[in-house]
Amino acid sequence: MKNSFFLSLALGTGWLISPESLVIAGNAAGQMGVLTIPVLAIVAILLGISGKCIQQAKLVGNTGSDILLLDKLTGSIPATAILLTSCVPLTILAATALLVSCGYTFNEVFLYWFPNFGFSFLLLALLTLIQLLPERLLLRVQLGFVLTTVTALLFLLLYGISSAHPVMKSVQHSPEVTTFTSALLFLLFAGSSLTEKKQSPLLIPIAGLLLFSLWTVTSLQYVSPQRLASSTIPYMTVARKIMGDPGRQIMGVAVITGSCAAITTLLLICRRILNNQTSSDNSSRTLLSPGKQRWLLPPLLAIISGTLMATGLAGDELLEVLLRGALILWLFQYTCLCLAALLQIRQEKQQLTMAGSVCCIVLLFSLSFLIFKDPHRSELLIFIISMFAAANIAAVGLFYINQRNTSKESKETTSTKENTP
Amino acid sequence: MKKLLLFLSFLLFFPAVPVIAGTAPTISKEELKAQLGSENLVLLDVRSGRDWSSSEFKITGAIRSPGSDFATWSKLYPKDKTIVLYCA
Repeated sequence: MKNSFFLSLALGTGWLISPESLVIAGNAAGQMGVLTIPVLAIVAILLGISGKCIQQAKLVGNTGSDILLLDKLTGSIPATAILLTSCVPLTILAATALLVSCGYTFNEVFLYWFPNFGFSFLLLALLTLIQLLPERLLLRVQLGFVLTTVTALLFLLLYGISSAHPVMKSVQHSPEVTTFTSALLFLLFAGSSLTEKKQSPLLIPIAGLLLFSLWTVTSLQYVSPQRLASSTIPYMTVARKIMGDPGRQIMGVAVITGSCAAITTLLLICRRILNNQTSSDNSSRTLLSPGKQRWLLPPLLAIISGTLMATGLAGDELLEVLLRGALILWLFQYTCLCLAALLQIRQEKQQLTMAGSVCCIVLLFSLSFLIFKDPHRSELLIFIISMFAAANIAAVGLFYINQRNTSKESKETTSTKENTP
Repeated sequence: MKKLLLFLSFLLFFPAVPVIAGTAPTISKEELKAQLGSENLVLLDVRSGRDWSSSEFKITGAIRSPGSDFATWSKLYPKDKTIVLYCA
């Protein structure tokens, strides 16, 4: 039981403790000040309630997989496409972005003579090789990444809180809660649904709320809100202010292990999504065979990420836009799952909770804000539409291969039965 | 399967081979420090995207001029000044 709890936490918090999330939280703390905490609490409660709805819908509808739940809302091909767009682009782009950040952190904090891109590629190779481990071992490695990151972050935060440091006074700064920044906070929880089935959906949102509340309070104590809001690496600025050079080194460890945890979580999400059954029949096939999920998918995604790094996407502003697009696609999938869950609950004539409906409406509003208030909305929309087109083609391909293999197997079974005397 | 793994490992490690730099004139950290604040110096940070945003080292007073906009900013600075490009 304890084991399952920690593994759940390790899987679901992968993205939450990544440097990308620390940037979103740091910038939000700079912009909204301590008001970030109540906004974050609302986001966590909404995610907890919607997670509960999804869990309940799967239970009443006897649908274990996300595809089967979405199938009732959209049909099987679009359902598969929605799931694919929520994880594959995010894994590729986040891996590219996080590994580049890790390369710089390693180079600037630990070994100045070591090429940053060399480190990024070595880490990519290592994370791909880890994916080839048996799942039991892989989950323990993930737990190690998460524990190291959380320990490093908590050490810094507790040291920061306990040290006698004059509270930073904000000069001519009035914290302002904006809808766009509030909606951005949803993106901190990408991949949080990847927990063990029996775990409470509130587990990861609460863990995130606790961590980022502490982070917000400490950050505002040491760094001015203006600087936090505009910094591209607020986590490093805060760490340096708290402990100086040792603080940078501790944060350096947290950045590298946090990135490893995030990439491992995202790769596992891709594998779990492709492990979805294509029909409610217990003997039905999964989207991709377990062997291919382990041996083919991680190296393939790693090659794409490696190619993007080698071709210079890291040095292009476009990467940030695409990464935001990929996170929005995750939120879109989550919103669709929530809608499908409400539909399922209604069909089964179960009590439709008011809170669940409110969650769906807020999620839909947040999605539209994130897309239409983005300064690069045209590029964002082109990316989202092309990802959907590509995912639909991939979904058709997966279903075709699946059906072909099923009919091949049934033919073989029939001929074996005929040959049996 | 072993051959496939070997090939994939090669593909992953290959780009890590350091690129051999051309022979552009360089300036040492100490030389640059001595010239900082001088009217004759134009310091340009040509990093862009994550190369710039992920880095902790940003020189105060450096002007951000991403390499992709070279055609635009290259005409802005007088040739008689010392122009230093900071790229990594």
